[in-house]
Amino acid sequence: MYGQNGDRMRTELAALLRQHRVQHRLGSSPSQSPAEREAAGLLILRYRHTVLAWCAEAVMAAKPLVFSTALPAPANPFRASNEDGAAVSELARALHVARDASTAGQATLEMLNSPSDNGVVEHWRNVANAAALAEHDTNGSAAGALTAAQAEALVGDVAAITQALVMLDHRYSNTPGWEKLADRARLGWAALATALDVSLGQPDYSVDQTGWRPRTKILRGPARPGVLGVLQAEHNLLVHLRSFPNAMNLRLLVDSQRQVSNSLAPMAERINGEYAARWVARGTTYALIQQQLRNIGGRLGHGGPAVAEAANATARVRALKPDTIIEPRVLAGFQTLFDRIDHRIADIVEDGIDRGAFVERIKIPRLGTDTKHLIVPTEEKFVPVTRASDLDVVQTLREQLRPPPPDPGPASPGRSRAELHTAILHRPSNRGANPDVHRL
Amino acid sequence: MDLAHAQRLVEARSYIAALADSARTVEASSAYEHVLIELDRLHGDESPALSTDGLTTNRDVLFAVANSAVEDLQCYGLDALDIELLLTRLDEAHSLDRP
Repeated sequence: MYGQNGDRMRTELAALLRQHRVQHRLGSSPSQSPAEREAAGLLILRYRHTVLAWCAEAVMAAKPLVFSTALPAPANPFRASNEDGAAVSELARALHVARDASTAGQATLEMLNSPSDNGVVEHWRNVANAAALAEHDTNGSAAGALTAAQAEALVGDVAAITQALVMLDHRYSNTPGWEKLADRARLGWAALATALDVSLGQPDYSVDQTGWRPRTKILRGPARPGVLGVLQAEHNLLVHLRSFPNAMNLRLLVDSQRQVSNSLAPMAERINGEYAARWVARGTTYALIQQQLRNIGGRLGHGGPAVAEAANATARVRALKPDTIIEPRVLAGFQTLFDRIDHRIADIVEDGIDRGAFVERIKIPRLGTDTKHLIVPTEEKFVPVTRASDLDVVQTLREQLRPPPPDPGPASPGRSRAELHTAILHRPSNRGANPDVHRL
Repeated sequence: MDLAHAQRLVEARSYIAALADSARTVEASSAYEHVLIELDRLHGDESPALSTDGLTTNRDVLFAVANSAVEDLQCYGLDALDIELLLTRLDEAHSLDRP
């Protein structure tokens, strides 16, 4: 996830920016030989190259979505407003120049993963490591999912990191064998102008929630004791729901969710009344869905492992004592899992009906006792089920089961962004009290 | 499946569904639901649609007619052991539903 990697980059860069008298820190011994500092400097240059490469790629990924608020729209309507002259274009150009001019080359996988005894090098390694991982979050398909406001936030981050690199380049310039950033001044000004330009818009920091995430895995091993066992089974059920269940297994899943919700609601009431009310409503909704699914059939699909986990969840929740106290964190975990399971089950039913895996059962004539005719013909409407929304169960899923998307409000920029900006402006105020400054 | 079989199956399904809907507890309702799913499984999920409209709400009456309908299914080629197991599960569900 970009949030984690971006946060790590900014935190480590802020730590580096707060370090003064770098030459004394680069050596591992009091003698601090130039050769030792040069070796550390060359390693840092490779780490910096990795960070520059990420910055250049990320800004290129976000650039098409960033429209300058400072520049007037071009008179020619066939010319994009984020072409030449826009701050982000200048930053992209300056970053490419700096990256291409760097002869150090990218850090190897071994360099990125081998911890260093030297504190300064270790900070740089962490920055480069996070930058390498962030390539998964901001390039390729991830870039295609960015919104304009998220792209602004990403460009703002790149600008801040670039400013930090420029300042550190100035501070490390006395290191033996150090290679200065190409066109450093222009890079710094372009970063400053871009940061200003982006701040005039409304960057969306929900970009932190985008990017690569590890695949959710099954929680193996023996059943966890108590309510955690129910949580484990619900988690595993959600993972197994990736495969499409057949209609009968779907009915078993719906039944298990009804039972789990109804059983957990009284236990949650003492801790969180809101969750308890939601789970009672969820149980009622599942009861209605259960009724409506009785006339839905279909043998395509499988879903056996999901049903097994559903049975585990039901058996474990039945084994709980009625006075079991559930921690707020576990309650929140259940709520998250319930939301995802509800979404998945709603998707399964709608997709199943759309692609013909689930079909409506037919009604047959029956013997009547309350009419003049012996055989009561079925009431046929002669309206084929061509749309999923024609079925009652789909209406229930859409209106009651599928939880409304949460309104997260404006995402917070996070602490690390503020810390990096503070570190960029940081200067030792009390010279006597700062251990980085010479004492007379 | 001939029409008589289908009609008896619809009756059995409808009575069990009505029992599930009128059960006193969630556990009993779930147990009836499992009987219904098992009945569908025995028919390869090729059962006709059920309807609980107009059925009585008296659970004892519903249980008796459901029992009878399930027993009758033996005449239409279902395995006797499967029917017995189904009846046992129906009986267990009914015992959960007693006050």
